[in-house]
Amino acid sequence: MRKILPDLCLLAAMPLLVYSVHRVFLETPIERQMGTAFKIFFFHVPMGWLCMLMAVICGVAAGVQLRRRSAVAGAVALAAAELGFVTGLGVLLTGPIWGSATWGTPWTGDARQVTTALLWLVIAAYLLLRHYGPRSSDRLAAALAIFGAVNVPIIYYAVKLWKTMHPSTGVVASLPPEMWATFWPGLIALALCTLALFGLRTRQLVLADELDAAWVRLDDNL
Amino acid sequence: MDEVTPPASTATPPPDPAYGPAVGRSLADKEKLRELEGVAADKTARDYQHIVLAYGVLWALFAGYGIFLWRRSARLRADMNDLQRRLDQRAR
Amino acid sequence: MRVVRQAVLLLRSELRQELRDFELLLSAGFFTLVLLAMFYLSFASLPVKHSLPAVPAMLWLTIAFVGVLTLTRAFDREREADTLRALLAAPVERLAIYLAKAALCLLVLMLCCLVLVPGLWLMFPGGAAFAEQPGQTALLVLLGCGGYVAVGTLFAAGLATGGGKNTLLFIILYPLTTPILLYALATTRALLDRHPDLPGFLGQMAALDLILFALAALLFETVLVGAGVAHRPRDRPRDRNLSRKPAP
Repeated sequence: MRKILPDLCLLAAMPLLVYSVHRVFLETPIERQMGTAFKIFFFHVPMGWLCMLMAVICGVAAGVQLRRRSAVAGAVALAAAELGFVTGLGVLLTGPIWGSATWGTPWTGDARQVTTALLWLVIAAYLLLRHYGPRSSDRLAAALAIFGAVNVPIIYYAVKLWKTMHPSTGVVASLPPEMWATFWPGLIALALCTLALFGLRTRQLVLADELDAAWVRLDDNL
Repeated sequence: MDEVTPPASTATPPPDPAYGPAVGRSLADKEKLRELEGVAADKTARDYQHIVLAYGVLWALFAGYGIFLWRRSARLRADMNDLQRRLDQRAR
Repeated sequence: MRVVRQAVLLLRSELRQELRDFELLLSAGFFTLVLLAMFYLSFASLPVKHSLPAVPAMLWLTIAFVGVLTLTRAFDREREADTLRALLAAPVERLAIYLAKAALCLLVLMLCCLVLVPGLWLMFPGGAAFAEQPGQTALLVLLGCGGYVAVGTLFAAGLATGGGKNTLLFIILYPLTTPILLYALATTRALLDRHPDLPGFLGQMAALDLILFALAALLFETVLVGAGVAHRPRDRPRDRNLSRKPAP
């Protein structure tokens, strides 16, 4: 069951994606204030949430990895960080596209934007450390992930404080129900895709670890 | 005649309960409307460009990650076959 | 109490070593001067209105740069003689090692600030408020450097035991210390603007310092020592490649 779970997720995501695209482009009324470009919202926001989710998973898995010395937790943390990197990049690229369409400027320095950008930097640092770090860097990287996860709310408040020293801009107001009805299928579809990739990558990393261990055993027996 | 008559275009007709104000479009109004429609269409087209760009970026990212996964798994498989060969060699 | 006593002892030995050649202090102090000179050359002609937001940026950027230099040097010394490993094997509380190192780096950074803050005050008209509120300025600098050092000591120590590649400290430390630096930046701006909420901001910074210190102290032992050394297959890909050549 666990083996085919990612494939099942991908299968379930397929019709949902079609339905979500259909709803976004053909069924949802055009938003009054922001016009057509508002449709970017329907996949920009889910990406942001998924990025946060992946960061939290990475932090928790890193904690387990440190505490239990579990290689599987290490693989989970790395896979979560990679997907957090991808989804974060998605948020950071689609955000300015939306911004330039509606606000006329790609970057307003809004608290959420800056927080996401800084979180993404932490994730990138984690990946760099995991890939290029010295021998004992697995534990150090885990500490980095934990700090990163703890930092998220702090960064948000810090940026808000920092913004009070600058002029601020308004962001999205509340949404009518039919917009939410379009939002949920898109969120679920993207979440299924991301989780499927996450599962696949985790399994791949665990396998790579086991393969390495097998090689080492072979060498030791020679 | 001291009374100043307002220009014809802005004159409001005398209120008459039997007849509502005539709703028609003068040529000028029509042109104005067409111009506005053009502006709106431009805006929509430009917005759609943004949406398509954003969507493209999104799927390109996912596809890129998929390719990364695929190449990794190919390398893993090659490694595994290597190991299998070595084990077979030793068994013989 | 035992931890504090051991930390004081360790700090004293660190200081004794430092007083022998002043290496940390001189290199960090000189780097501070160089950075000040570079900022002066870049921004000397800035009008007062624009120097107000620039002064906090220069202050905290300098501290960030000098901090990494200090942390790297402080642990390089250990690495050259492999003394950190010996220290970790000694019957000393690990927390005491962390506290001693953090205190040393904090001390060096604070001494650098003795040059940096008056320098900024003299060079830029926007820094005038530093002289008007010396107590609050000192507290602000202490809290900012404290948070920075709290995080930095953990990661510098982790990289020092790993062997090689401590250039990575630049990569991992800056993203992680942005919250405290951002807080420090905003609070410095408040100080320069003579904002009435300044004590509140300083209180929040103190709370943040406490969180960072607690988290780093909690993780220090686990990161440096782990829970016993088991075999880690990922460490040996190079051996594997070597052995893959057909055996003679």
